[in-house]
Amino acid sequence: MKYRKLVTIVEEIVREGGRDVDPVARVAIVAAVFDNPWAGEGFVEDLTEGIDSVASDLGALLAPRVLEALGEPLEAYGKATIVGLDGEIEHGSALIHTLKFGNHFRDAAQATTLLPAVEKRGPAGVHFDIPLKHFTDATIRSHHQSVEISIPDAPHAGEIIVALAGATRGRPQQRLAALSTEQ
Amino acid sequence: MTTTSETSPRIIDLSNRSTLSNYSEIAAAIGLRKFSTYCEELPLNGGASTLRATSTAVISNPWAGSDTTADLAPEAERIAPLLAKLLTDRLLEVLGGAEQVEAFGKAALVGVEGETEHAGAMIHTPYFGNLMREALDGTSILCFADGHGQPGEKLRIPMWHKTAPATRSHYQTIEIFLSDAPAAGEIAIVAAASTGPRPFARIGDRLTDKPITSEILKEIAL
Repeated sequence: MKYRKLVTIVEEIVREGGRDVDPVARVAIVAAVFDNPWAGEGFVEDLTEGIDSVASDLGALLAPRVLEALGEPLEAYGKATIVGLDGEIEHGSALIHTLKFGNHFRDAAQATTLLPAVEKRGPAGVHFDIPLKHFTDATIRSHHQSVEISIPDAPHAGEIIVALAGATRGRPQQRLAALSTEQ
Repeated sequence: MTTTSETSPRIIDLSNRSTLSNYSEIAAAIGLRKFSTYCEELPLNGGASTLRATSTAVISNPWAGSDTTADLAPEAERIAPLLAKLLTDRLLEVLGGAEQVEAFGKAALVGVEGETEHAGAMIHTPYFGNLMREALDGTSILCFADGHGQPGEKLRIPMWHKTAPATRSHYQTIEIFLSDAPAAGEIAIVAAASTGPRPFARIGDRLTDKPITSEILKEIAL
């Protein structure tokens, strides 16, 4: 998998709302910046070839790195793609909305749910929020959360960012009633 | 009867242990809210990569509400060594050890209710700088950025060579982003390092430069 840049971010949240977070909440994000496989090709009707050449390798690159950076068992996860200004949002979606990509993360994390996602187009340095949900039950409200990142010089107009994110627990100081209490 | 134990600090030895885990007591002692550690891998031709990283701590400003006559030394001497240890442990973890580090730098950004001097107090004394230099096995003075910061701003931190600061190839900066820090009553302290020079550095060096003065302005070709 050829990439221009690979970014790893780890957040350790120690206090929230004026109280200690115990255990410390860890969130890890790994993002790859690489050439849009459809750059310069105009409207490509069938994206299969590009998906097959990139999606699985991308999942295999990112998934183990997220777990290594997290350093503790994963409880919530999510994904993102940011397409440079010359590309279509469909290009990024093509690479992350396939089991060829996501199964690498699900298998590595022993997860079962679909990965929540963000897909958008933007200039280099664009801020984006990656949504995360519980890794085996997407209805568990305590684990709904997001993390915001920005990569200063990416994506270039002809590039795509794809990121995976994982968290060791739900929101710091989560204390909302479970979904089941409202049903 | 418990007054004595409450006023006598417990002594711990951090010289030989990692602070990557089980650091809650240290975090509480310095008013830590969060860490953010950023690492970017830049592949170079031929398969090698340069790693550039920052480690950031966000703490409560210990001088919040004080005025410009406050003595900053006691809190700086208490907090800065712990910051240096916590941040360099994280930098070395992602960069693979001090022997991998070639360039370094530091920064402190104080929230809008604090003074610039509060940021400086965290990084501009030996209690931070000497410990960071020793941990990264360097000899150079650390280059830096300091001042006020707002949550969501991009922070650009300068780095230069850790033993030969005039080495031009290693002049570089790294940009980071903190979505919610520093808040008005906080300080963000950053340690930064790189395993190499700028990617594809090729603008010569002091040793290769010809002598250049304003004499060159006398014969400008347009």
